[in-house]
Amino acid sequence: MTLRSLPIRAELLNNLRAAHARMWVRLRGANRDPISLVAEIGLPILAIGAYVILYRAIGFPSTAGAAVIIGGAMIAFWTNVLWNMSSQWFWEREQGNLEMYLIAPVSRMSILLGMALGGSLNTAIRALGIVLLGIFVFQVPFQLRDPFLVGVIFVLTLVALYALGMLFASLFMLYGREAWNTANLLQEPVYFLSGAYFPGFYGPIVPGAIQVAGSLIPMTIGLDAIRRLAIGGGDITSVWLHIIALIACTLILFPIARRALNYMESLGKKEGRLTLRWQ
Amino acid sequence: MAVADFVKAARESFRVGWKIESNWTDPVLFATYQVIRPLASLLIVAFIVIIGASVGATANSAFYTQYLAWLIVGNAFYAFVLQIMLGMAILVHVDRTRYEVLKNIYISPGTLHPYVMGRGLVSVLNGAVSVVLTLLFSVAIFNGLLHMNIPLNLLGVNLLMLIPAVILGIISLLAIGYMLCAVNIVSNRMEFILGDSVSGIFFLLGGVIFPIALLPSYVQSISNVLPITYLLNAVRESFGLLPTASYMSDLFYLALTTLVTLIIGITVFRLAERRAKKLGLFDRKSEY
Repeated sequence: MTLRSLPIRAELLNNLRAAHARMWVRLRGANRDPISLVAEIGLPILAIGAYVILYRAIGFPSTAGAAVIIGGAMIAFWTNVLWNMSSQWFWEREQGNLEMYLIAPVSRMSILLGMALGGSLNTAIRALGIVLLGIFVFQVPFQLRDPFLVGVIFVLTLVALYALGMLFASLFMLYGREAWNTANLLQEPVYFLSGAYFPGFYGPIVPGAIQVAGSLIPMTIGLDAIRRLAIGGGDITSVWLHIIALIACTLILFPIARRALNYMESLGKKEGRLTLRWQ
Repeated sequence: MAVADFVKAARESFRVGWKIESNWTDPVLFATYQVIRPLASLLIVAFIVIIGASVGATANSAFYTQYLAWLIVGNAFYAFVLQIMLGMAILVHVDRTRYEVLKNIYISPGTLHPYVMGRGLVSVLNGAVSVVLTLLFSVAIFNGLLHMNIPLNLLGVNLLMLIPAVILGIISLLAIGYMLCAVNIVSNRMEFILGDSVSGIFFLLGGVIFPIALLPSYVQSISNVLPITYLLNAVRESFGLLPTASYMSDLFYLALTTLVTLIIGITVFRLAERRAKKLGLFDRKSEY
């Protein structure tokens, strides 16, 4: 008897079901504990508050505070990408789930897609909380003229960001304790390079080399576009380049993530590292 | 338990902790990892001040170089807070759930106290490496590369003022770390939140990147009972960035808050230990 491959439609449905199932676990797991929810909204406010007060101390206008609040909200997505996307295969391996994913008759990308959907939905709830709480506590001004365009840029940013997360997930797959340390390492440097706490990023003040390095992170591009629209009162003419850049990021990162995942899986099998724990 | 036994157990715990935290890579890469995070934090606030200076948000340019020096020292020594809080907040979870050894440590003659102390001292060492490297890199970047003439002379530090302040500060942070371990012994949902929460509160209220006088008055009273506030004041005084006249009073309040923190830390830990034993929490698996 030989194994027959499923028809395309059935295979697609299988993968969508897997993505939905993984998303459901993520949504359920992250929202069943109200303490975590409150902490994940409240914690960024501590850092945001410190930077808002710093801006006031050196005499910046209140729009700088608004930029920091948007930056703080976007950082929540980066943190989610790092700890719940990039490091996820590491956690799964530690808990003994990775082999189950690998023997399941679905694409690994559908599992990652489920994680990304669940993670982005969860984080969107938290980011909204951060923005609302930030506006309430720090009383900063916004000039939102085109909410639809902000929504489009926001979604494009998330898609590109989570595609980067998928790429990292495959690279982190074989990590032991490096996973923990690398995720830690990618926090503050990315906050710096993305200009999350700066009033603006692309301009004469931030050095060109930092702008180039920061532009490799989709969050930097999306964050700048959202700030132009939500604080500067800009329109499509001020962000069309950002839109193209975000689409390009996704189109580049997604296939690379897919190839990297296959490569790392096969390397893991050859080296027998897919089931190693406590490294 | 005799002091010699305690010290021996703490030393072994330190050895194990150091290996767990450092032997996953080579020393150079490890040191790089240790310095990049605090350095990036510093660069964020430093760039904010530099951007402020470029757009002339505040007229006086000397204000910015003075402020930058003040900020570099505060941010560098905040590495102790980050390392100790994050390291000790996750310790119980990792040993109980991931490596499943907490119960074995508890039933050993050494018990948990020297173990937690030894592991906390690893975080102190990591913090010290971060502080030294951050200060050196800051001077190299801002004075060497960017020629900003920041009034920060690392060779002119008054060590007689610095060392007592740092020792007291570390004791207080370890006592707070003890409390975090205690909370995690009896809880299984706080391990990823506690370290960030406490270090975030200290970042906002401890005078790390701005003077606490800028906080609303009702919040300042909280800052005034935190050891970190006095630690950073005393450290900045030893670097000559604040008037030295208030050093003794800062040191006194640092000692006082350290003593209170120590008493609370040990009490909370003992209570948590007792409760965990009663409810059988030392071997609880809680991964989800």
